[in-house]
Amino acid sequence: MNQFGSAVSRRSLLQAGGAGLGLAGLGTLAGCSKGSDSGSSSGTFKMLYFGDQKSADALKAKLAPEVTKLDSKVTLEISAVNGTDWNDFFAKVLTQIASGTAPDIVGVATEGVQLMASKDLAIPLDDYVKKDMASMKPYFDDVHPSLVEAMMYQGHLYELPSDFNCGNMFYSTKLFHQAGVAEPGPNWTIDDFHNAVEKIAKIPGVNGFDWVVRLWGSWTSFMYANGGNLLTESKFSGGDWLWGTAYAGNAAAAGRGGGYQWGAPTANSPAVVESLQYLIDLKKAGIAPSPDVGGGGTLQGLFASQRIGAAIGGGFWAGGLHNAGMAPDSFNVQFFPKWKSQRHLFGTGGYAIFKSSKKKDLAWEVLKVLAKPESFDIIAPGNVTTSAHKSLATAERYASTGPKNWKVFYDTLTEHPDTGPIPAPPYYNALATALNTRTTQAISTGDAKGALDGLQSDLEAASKAT
Amino acid sequence: MSVSQAQPVVTAMPPHKVLTQSRERRREARFGLGMIALSVILVAVFTAGPILASFVLSFFSWDVISSPKFVGINNYKRVVSDSSVLHSLAVTLGLGIAIVVLQIVFGLILAVLVNQRRGNTSRVFFRTAFYLPLLASSAAVSIFMGYLFDAKFGVINYYLGLIGISNVPWLTTPIGAMVTVVLVAVWQQTGFTFVLFVAALMSVPTDVLEAAQIDGAGPFRTLLRIKIPLISPTILFAAVVAMINSMQLFDQPYIMTAGGPGNATTTMPIVMYRAGFQNLQFGFGSAIAILLLAVILAITGLQFLAARKLVFYQ
Repeated sequence: MNQFGSAVSRRSLLQAGGAGLGLAGLGTLAGCSKGSDSGSSSGTFKMLYFGDQKSADALKAKLAPEVTKLDSKVTLEISAVNGTDWNDFFAKVLTQIASGTAPDIVGVATEGVQLMASKDLAIPLDDYVKKDMASMKPYFDDVHPSLVEAMMYQGHLYELPSDFNCGNMFYSTKLFHQAGVAEPGPNWTIDDFHNAVEKIAKIPGVNGFDWVVRLWGSWTSFMYANGGNLLTESKFSGGDWLWGTAYAGNAAAAGRGGGYQWGAPTANSPAVVESLQYLIDLKKAGIAPSPDVGGGGTLQGLFASQRIGAAIGGGFWAGGLHNAGMAPDSFNVQFFPKWKSQRHLFGTGGYAIFKSSKKKDLAWEVLKVLAKPESFDIIAPGNVTTSAHKSLATAERYASTGPKNWKVFYDTLTEHPDTGPIPAPPYYNALATALNTRTTQAISTGDAKGALDGLQSDLEAASKAT
Repeated sequence: MSVSQAQPVVTAMPPHKVLTQSRERRREARFGLGMIALSVILVAVFTAGPILASFVLSFFSWDVISSPKFVGINNYKRVVSDSSVLHSLAVTLGLGIAIVVLQIVFGLILAVLVNQRRGNTSRVFFRTAFYLPLLASSAAVSIFMGYLFDAKFGVINYYLGLIGISNVPWLTTPIGAMVTVVLVAVWQQTGFTFVLFVAALMSVPTDVLEAAQIDGAGPFRTLLRIKIPLISPTILFAAVVAMINSMQLFDQPYIMTAGGPGNATTTMPIVMYRAGFQNLQFGFGSAIAILLLAVILAITGLQFLAARKLVFYQ
């Protein structure tokens, strides 16, 4: 029980703040999630987008006619939010909400789904999906259920996945050949990987392997393959309303629940420690350099410059490497190597409707447009991510960008059904900060166990605070 | 009759002149108030208001989304017992002291050297060159410095490699990261102390310098015994302002090292930002801000106390 009594109203707090105009500005936020008129039309329809304003403007130019078709009185506005990674993005989105400028919809990846849902910022899409189940059936037929399950929280669906990325292994065909290493097959192991990067690292000026410090596709990929996780993994109950209808008869949907439930931290368990220590040992052996913290743009640049033998990447690397000037046949991709298992991690993206939106019905219609296969190249042109639609995984799509083995992007979900989403609980921001801090600590000290003991404490405190 | 018995002239002023003077004073007062009004409003809205708001917020638990809850001094209890906050205080103090000392030393050396130059053009050139970094955005500076110091592809390591020094881990070891953050902050901020010292050195009376020269004092002795004591009030001012700025160090460590490796360069403003804007614990973040304010006030007070013995006022 709180010894200081019950919550006070915002009005009281503002009065207590007196001249606290900054507080008054922040205070408007709490009103954002109160009350709405879902049928309201006319005015501006606001969308937040993770990226630069130039890309947001390009998207707006293509998407605006679609929105106008849905409601001619509405003007589409897309605001870009920049950041080095998703935690940066969410910090800025929450600041925008605090300033009283909550959008109608926001692009959110796995990292933020539970954060948005648990804070009651986004609305469940259950009723809309049920209402439009007949017209939505082709969508669900084309999208793997594991992606949909990753967008659920406590039995409710919060987003329609539009894209995803599994943590596969990209490699330089040129450096593999130069080092006399055979290109990996789908069943390669951690030992095969080690032998390959060890030989490549002997080429002057080249690192056998490189990586970035973040939650997706970092040492965490090794952790998943090694059978570990940062948090205890289970599923929420519920979701039958979706699995029993949209995925009826689909074997891949069997055993699905109401979203991932992230429980007690297990950050210093033996499998997790072993995974991080393996990466530290790669650095000590001169096979991998100290990694950067962040989204991985620099890593792609180094890979494209043929200075890295192998690196973890998803489908978004295809477009990234192509844009960095890499020829389609100078690199390739393979499943992540098998350690104790060949479990991959993935992240998926989509759009959520803000609870404060006064245009929820329109927002749902826009979400349906964004989830259509034909919208994918409008939202993400040039293979800068992987479409959630199986039908879009085609040779034609990757003909100009590569890689040759593009099939692994979607096949990871089907060939390795134990593949799961990154552990992104409601306290994702605190988790990401602690993970980055403790990972860089481990690299600088060379002691994975000590750093992960610290991470365990950080996560226990964060989960308790939540 | 004594002079002291003379009547004051003012009392003899005619009534219409008194009225005019009073009107004039009111007009001047209005003009004065008008002149400072903008500053007062801006300070109230953007400085005093937020400080007061932060102080009030520090007694609440608030995630910005739901209603705030009054928690008394719980946030302060947490601040003084949270190892990450206390560690960040130590980091902030360590980095701050290093930055201030180097800023003062380099600023003074550069100012002395520039003042010794005879050509006015070269003086103007160097003054501008040394002051320019201060005008650049510290976020932009931090981004390109991050690239320059990058261990894998940074230009600095490239040139060091040419002379046989390879792979200096500037940003990936605790010591390397701290040194880099200090170097970048000093590089950017030294222009401030430099300009102050240039002006102060120019105001040192030439007769005093000539007297020292006649007495046989060389340039170094003149600097130590005459110039530095005479500009000591400026050094105090520079040290106080530089310390206040250094205690708020955020951009350089946040952008170049993300506060790492580990929490080697995690300053109090970074912990405050993470608490408030990333973890949505605005009450806790505000308590850290108030603690930082108290620390800055205490350090400034100490600096002024020390100045009583060290600063020479003419």
